[in-house]
Amino acid sequence: MSLFSFMGTLEIGLIFGLVAMGVYLTFRVLDFPDLTVDGSFTLGAAVTAALIVSGINPYLSTLAGCFAGAAAGVVTAWLNLRFNILHLLASILTMTALYTINLRVMGKPNLALITDPTVLTPFEGLGLANMYMKPLFVGVCVITVGILLALFLKTQYGLAMRAVGANKRMAQANGIVVKEKVYAGLALSNGLVALAGALFAQTNGFADSTMGIGTIVVGLAAVIVGETLLSSRKMLIIIFSCIVGSILYRLAIGFALNADFLGFNASDLNLITALLVGLALVLPQLRKEWKAKQAAIKANGGDA
Amino acid sequence: MIRCEQLRVTFNAGLPTERKPWGIDLEIPQGEFVTVIGSNGAGKSTLLNAVAGDIPASGGKILFGDKDVTRIPATGRTKEVARVFQDPLAGTCATMTVEENMALAYGRGSRGKLSFALNDKLRKIFREQLSRLNLGLENRLDAEMGLLSGGQRQSVSLLMSALQPSSILLLDEHTAALDPKTAALIMDISAQIIAEKQLTVMMVTHSMRQALDFGSRTLMLHEGKIVFDLSGEDRSNYEVSDLLELFAKARGGDEALDDDKLLLGS
Repeated sequence: MSLFSFMGTLEIGLIFGLVAMGVYLTFRVLDFPDLTVDGSFTLGAAVTAALIVSGINPYLSTLAGCFAGAAAGVVTAWLNLRFNILHLLASILTMTALYTINLRVMGKPNLALITDPTVLTPFEGLGLANMYMKPLFVGVCVITVGILLALFLKTQYGLAMRAVGANKRMAQANGIVVKEKVYAGLALSNGLVALAGALFAQTNGFADSTMGIGTIVVGLAAVIVGETLLSSRKMLIIIFSCIVGSILYRLAIGFALNADFLGFNASDLNLITALLVGLALVLPQLRKEWKAKQAAIKANGGDA
Repeated sequence: MIRCEQLRVTFNAGLPTERKPWGIDLEIPQGEFVTVIGSNGAGKSTLLNAVAGDIPASGGKILFGDKDVTRIPATGRTKEVARVFQDPLAGTCATMTVEENMALAYGRGSRGKLSFALNDKLRKIFREQLSRLNLGLENRLDAEMGLLSGGQRQSVSLLMSALQPSSILLLDEHTAALDPKTAALIMDISAQIIAEKQLTVMMVTHSMRQALDFGSRTLMLHEGKIVFDLSGEDRSNYEVSDLLELFAKARGGDEALDDDKLLLGS
């Protein structure tokens, strides 16, 4: 892997760190498996790109993209909470609807941002090559957001949100309004994912109606890889592990595609993704079984 | 004070299995500790859940003092009501630490702030409270709740229920899932907290012994109605065997007492 492609991988890994944080919020904190993210990633990119193309300030456009994503999360939460539609199904409905909405927002299947100003424009020409400047900018954004999210989860409000995911009955008995926390959590999660989409569109110079496909798998993979490597109860470390997991996942994909002896090429991406995520899911389980077996052998040995 | 006026709860409404609910009339003055007994399905837990707001009343009224809370959901009643569940796992969050769980309970009734849930002042309070248990938990504030034993978790749930001032404490067989020694410890601390804070208490129990030893009044429920209500001198003269006799009478008399072995627990 060349330095150039490494920096590119790092940049994408950092951006998907935001997706991983969003997925962590829904899957782990709220225990609400949410597939809306496949649509809200693209929605963030589409809204931001469409606004930038129409001449709006890129920072404002990015903010609007985030809010659009948050709104998508609220729709999923509403379908689930108001009409008792299974959370997975509710999120698939929103995601499906978003595909059309994204096409409408952009007016065509993809929008190029090559000549338009982006959030990166003020930092161009400061003497740092784009190849380093982009990952640095994205890194600062993602780490700032990560720290804010970790702090949020330690507030009374954040703690209440975690309780809703961990034990609804207990949360209720302690006066926590469960529905409100689910709405807020899904809005926050999809807002983060939309921010990732907005940044992705601006660093890569385009928004495309299919760019969100598989976002959930990548985000989940990042969360699981991070959890496997850095298990902790410290909020800051958990959020940090989402980012690290995301970067490592990208590097693993890059390595698999680049390693000639494996014989993969770019069109094999989805299979590699599935294999990697499968591996990340299976390994902790196998490790647990192996440990239990070792413990059993030890115990039996003691008896004899 | 808790007052129930013709309180009804309907199960399976509209289905062939619908049961005709009896209206319950009950008044518990401020500071009274009532124990509630009855066989399975008598409506003990239902009564408690209706008071807490988990189950909506299908008729009648529930009042806390002068305040009609019949239409207020469970989350809106938590300023007045604290509870401890039968299942030691139900009252706490396994994936959160001891101090986080306590912080949640500490925030009961005043929620939604963006200030930090934990600080050193709170930790000091939590440590003091935990040291009452003599379980060494005061040194394990940052341990994950799921790592604690059922008894330890129930002890913490009990402390959590008393972290915020409330006037009503609902105990739903909160020692039933524990070994006798831990159960005794929990009952001891319950009694301490109740006396200290002068709480109005409803305690559901399957143990006749507990029902007579604790509190100042005993209710027996059968098929959704109160079949007897013991207090004062009457009650102090009662023995477990008298209670069992009443119990058998309430159930129709011909059922063998063997069935009630469960109820004889010390």
